[in-house]
Amino acid sequence: MNAATWICLLLPLASTLAITAGGTKLSRRATGWISTVTTFGSFAAACVCFGILLSEDSSQRTHVTTSWTWLSAGQYKFGLSLLTDQLSVMMMLIVAGVSGLIIAYSLGYMDGEDEERRFFAYMSLFVFSMLLLVQSANLLLLLGGWGMVGLSSYLLIGFYQERESAVAAAKKAFVMNAIGDATFALALFLLVQQTGTLDFPQAFGAAPLGGPLANLIALGLLGGALAKSAQLPLHTWLPDAMEGPTPVSALIHAATMVTAGVYLIVRCHILFENAHIVRDLAAGLGTATLLMAGLVALVQVDIKRVIAYSTMSQIGYMFLAAGLGAYANAMFHLMTHAFFKALLFLAAGLVIHALTGEQDIRRLQGVGKLMPRTRAGFLIGSLALVGIFPFAGFFSKDEILASALASGWYGHILYVVGMIGAFLTGLYAFRLVFIVFTGEPSPFAREHYHAHHGKEGPYSMLVVVFVLSVLSTVAGFLQWEPLWGLVSKWLDPIAPPLVVPTSRDDWISSLVGLLMGLAGIAVAWAMYSAARVEVPKPWTILERKFYFDELYDVVFYRTSDLLARSLGALVERPLIGGSLSLLGEGFSSGARELGRAQTGLVRSYALALAGGLVVLFVVFLVVK
Amino acid sequence: MGPLTTILIVVPFAGAALVAIAPLRSYWLGSLAALVSLLEVGLWITAVGKFDFGAPGLQFSQQTTWIPDLNVSYHVGMYAFSLWLVGMTVVVMAACVIYGWWVDRARARAYFSLMLVLTGSIVGVFTAQDMLLFYAFFEAMLIPLYILIGVWGGPLRLRATITFVVYTVVGSLLMLAAIVAYGLQEGTFDLTTIHQSSSTWIFLGFVIAFVIKAPIFPFHGWLAITYRESPPEVSGILSGVVAKVGLYGLLRIAIPKFPGPVHDWRVVLLILASFSLVYGSLLAFRARDFRGVVLYSSLAQSGLIVIGLLANNDLGFDGAVLQMVNHGLISASLFLIAAMVERRCSTGEFRLLGGMARGRPALATVVMVTGIIALAVPLSTAFAGEFLILAGVFQQGWGWAVVGAVGIVLAAMYMLRAISGVLHQDVGPAVPESALDLRVGELAVVVPLILCLVGLSAWPNLISGHAFGGNQAKAAIVQGMP
Amino acid sequence: MHGPDIQWYVVLAALLFATGALGVMLRRSPLIILLSVEIMLNAANLLLIAFSRLHGREDGQVFAISVMAVAASEVVVGLGMIVALGRRNVELDVDKLRTLRG
Repeated sequence: MNAATWICLLLPLASTLAITAGGTKLSRRATGWISTVTTFGSFAAACVCFGILLSEDSSQRTHVTTSWTWLSAGQYKFGLSLLTDQLSVMMMLIVAGVSGLIIAYSLGYMDGEDEERRFFAYMSLFVFSMLLLVQSANLLLLLGGWGMVGLSSYLLIGFYQERESAVAAAKKAFVMNAIGDATFALALFLLVQQTGTLDFPQAFGAAPLGGPLANLIALGLLGGALAKSAQLPLHTWLPDAMEGPTPVSALIHAATMVTAGVYLIVRCHILFENAHIVRDLAAGLGTATLLMAGLVALVQVDIKRVIAYSTMSQIGYMFLAAGLGAYANAMFHLMTHAFFKALLFLAAGLVIHALTGEQDIRRLQGVGKLMPRTRAGFLIGSLALVGIFPFAGFFSKDEILASALASGWYGHILYVVGMIGAFLTGLYAFRLVFIVFTGEPSPFAREHYHAHHGKEGPYSMLVVVFVLSVLSTVAGFLQWEPLWGLVSKWLDPIAPPLVVPTSRDDWISSLVGLLMGLAGIAVAWAMYSAARVEVPKPWTILERKFYFDELYDVVFYRTSDLLARSLGALVERPLIGGSLSLLGEGFSSGARELGRAQTGLVRSYALALAGGLVVLFVVFLVVK
Repeated sequence: MGPLTTILIVVPFAGAALVAIAPLRSYWLGSLAALVSLLEVGLWITAVGKFDFGAPGLQFSQQTTWIPDLNVSYHVGMYAFSLWLVGMTVVVMAACVIYGWWVDRARARAYFSLMLVLTGSIVGVFTAQDMLLFYAFFEAMLIPLYILIGVWGGPLRLRATITFVVYTVVGSLLMLAAIVAYGLQEGTFDLTTIHQSSSTWIFLGFVIAFVIKAPIFPFHGWLAITYRESPPEVSGILSGVVAKVGLYGLLRIAIPKFPGPVHDWRVVLLILASFSLVYGSLLAFRARDFRGVVLYSSLAQSGLIVIGLLANNDLGFDGAVLQMVNHGLISASLFLIAAMVERRCSTGEFRLLGGMARGRPALATVVMVTGIIALAVPLSTAFAGEFLILAGVFQQGWGWAVVGAVGIVLAAMYMLRAISGVLHQDVGPAVPESALDLRVGELAVVVPLILCLVGLSAWPNLISGHAFGGNQAKAAIVQGMP
Repeated sequence: MHGPDIQWYVVLAALLFATGALGVMLRRSPLIILLSVEIMLNAANLLLIAFSRLHGREDGQVFAISVMAVAASEVVVGLGMIVALGRRNVELDVDKLRTLRG
């Protein structure tokens, strides 16, 4: 058990180290294979852990293994310890499995790039960091993984490092996440002060049960979660992060890292349950994000940015669920979302790959006719996203809304907004489908489309897209709440739900959700395929993404820039230049004055000496 | 194992004498000096092996009467935290000596003897247990620095030297006055036996002397010009090692020996330290060249460490010691990297640099790894140090930790700007096509430092959990560190 | 205790010292100034020895010998400089040798 846990964590790290140390001695191909094989190795190890847990009694499924004390001070001790329980195994399976698939896809996608080695080293580093995040048994180590995924995300967003926009996007992502890390850390300081430990069960057990302290702890953690999961108001980095290569967007900015916030809330659900204000805040912010992102997604013209906004919106659903206490539903949606969102990105990646890197949907028009397999994959992903029976999203999203329906008046508000979000999802998802994948190919698409040896892409890419299509179709059947619930049952000992919808709630939300999705699709069809309805001119506020970028530019960047400049001009320069020149001038003018006393006449010196002696003599006489 | 401390002090001095008289050509003088500095590292590793981390108090101590009338003695020895600081010193000095050897510094005989004298003096400062001995080593450390800056520095080296001399002499004199006053008042100069004092004036004399060296706002006037004009490896020593002498002084003398004044002045000092943190970070964010970022970040880091020292609990003290070692290694690596960039492009200004990552994987990896450790990405050893410090000061007052958290964000901003300014985007006008990747010699200097940092990242507890005997920092400080 | 009382020594030393001091202050020839300095030193020596005898301890005598050694070296240096000045045909007048004025 312990061995499998550690192997699962350390294999990707070993891969990073091997690729870094190997340098140019390893061929580009070899690095790709090292990365792929180690990640699947991690997946295998995760499967072993899963198997062992399955064979155990459901109350015995928590295992902690510590290698050494990572950090200590006085009586405080923070171990390098890993936790294997139902929740972390579920995350390990998702992370390692999806990562393995996407890295395998990258074998084809990145083929021929200049710096494949660097790419695969970073990817392995990311897998390691993400596994550390989900496997760690205390909050300090979790924060470590938390920061490391941010780092890998920075490295991968800025992978095309000579492109200015990519570097800027990478820095933006890192700094926004650093803000989240900072509030996360502050929450931990408070927790350390209150409980003296950061190990999960002990810290949760000893944490304050309510009042301002509990709320502040939860608020700090929520800040970290919001930044990492790109939720309002710390969301602006995610669309820009699409500057990275497409597999990166699929892996980090859709399937795994951005959902870490949800994992954090579920993992620390006790801390959030002690702080009901913050819980409601989380649900509210998630809901606001899902609405905002759905609206903005309607007017974006970059295929990856549309999917990125859709990711924000879907994570909004997960936050809604986690905030309301429907933890298993949040985790279930996290899992299905990982499959279908990765599928959407990878299918889009096939298109981008085949069309020399073009991402503007106006130029990609009608490319579906040239790429029927990709079209099928993208369609499955979109149906799953919108939540059409029997695809995965239908099961997971509607359950979240059912939980909202069962949560009193606040839940009802969230429910209505969530339903509007479902309609928007149908609209923006099928806007993409209808524009890019139906109709006649645009001249640009025809001209630039180049098939890969007569296929739509290399085998590695096509196979992965196929596998994910299958998963997006069948994964939903793990849990159909009114009838059976494998995920809920599995997670129940770790995070028992606070709200259990009745089966009436379930049926209502399933039906309404399905209808809203279909309505969205219908409107999209009317606007973009059949052209029955004129597409309204997009509002500027949507195109400007609600002016968040501009706001943050003024509030953060310009303020600190101005502050730094004025400190430099008003304090630093006078202090450095000023203090010294003042000192120097003072000394030299003083010396000039004193120099007058030096007459050069020996006898006057002698007189001064004698005079001094007399003065001393008198002083001694008087003082005595 | 008494003499080991003395051996650690004497070996570099003996090496310096040997270099000064050995009839060798400059290349061989360099290799001799490198050998001596590596021998010093080896001796230190032996010391670690024999050190008993469970026992409190001084170890490897040796005491011989020097001036009996004044109760002055040659008394040296190491606490656990001194051991780590000595280790950081000898490792950084070895890297810098080897770098000097690799770039073939002019007037090798003088250069290498001075570097070795510097090594011995700094080790002496960290191990001296008698205040006058401490002062003697402190001064002995400054003289080689003056000469190294004044002779081997950049175009404004004279101005830099004078600035440095003026500030340090003011600090030294204050310290001397404080030492004499304290020693005469208590009748001994021995740090292990001297009683705690409640004299505010003596305390302030020590504090000002130490924070000039650290430095802390507003005593950092010497910082910018000195770090810019010194030869880069000397800048690395200054900010990595010599600055730690000031912080060590706070930890060894000012804080344990003056509990009353520390309590009275804590808030003032915390304000200055927090302000240094934010101020240094903001200036680093606006700095126009690579060295500027590093030097202002040193100011910020000094502020952070002082915050840790003033947190007045185990977390703060352990974190501060860990962060001293971290920052020593980081700062030295960054200055050496700055040197390597400047050698290729003959400038460190960001507007003239950029795009160096392409085709130079070793340089890119080294800059990236050092940079991200420097910005304290979680799981790095710098993060561990900052976490302990801020968790510690959080218990002293939430506001200080919030300021520290702002510092974390600002650190990300300035360090990423520096990394990108050198490595990314378009190739800068000052970057020649022919600029080579890092050579084996340069890697041999900087990679060991980075490996130390990476190793510490895997196990920061090596220092944080073993900085005070029996891991009882607060208790030792309260007793005045006997 | 033989010889005159200590007061006599003190008075004599004071007279000698005053003579020397006046000589330094009034005369212009460096040679004479050097002589006057010697007189002052010997006044001090006299006192040292006298008090040493008075207290029956040798410290003062040791000091006196040191002073004599210093005086001798001073004369060597001083005379050497004066001779060097003379060789260069510089007028031996301290009021004119004032290149060190500020």
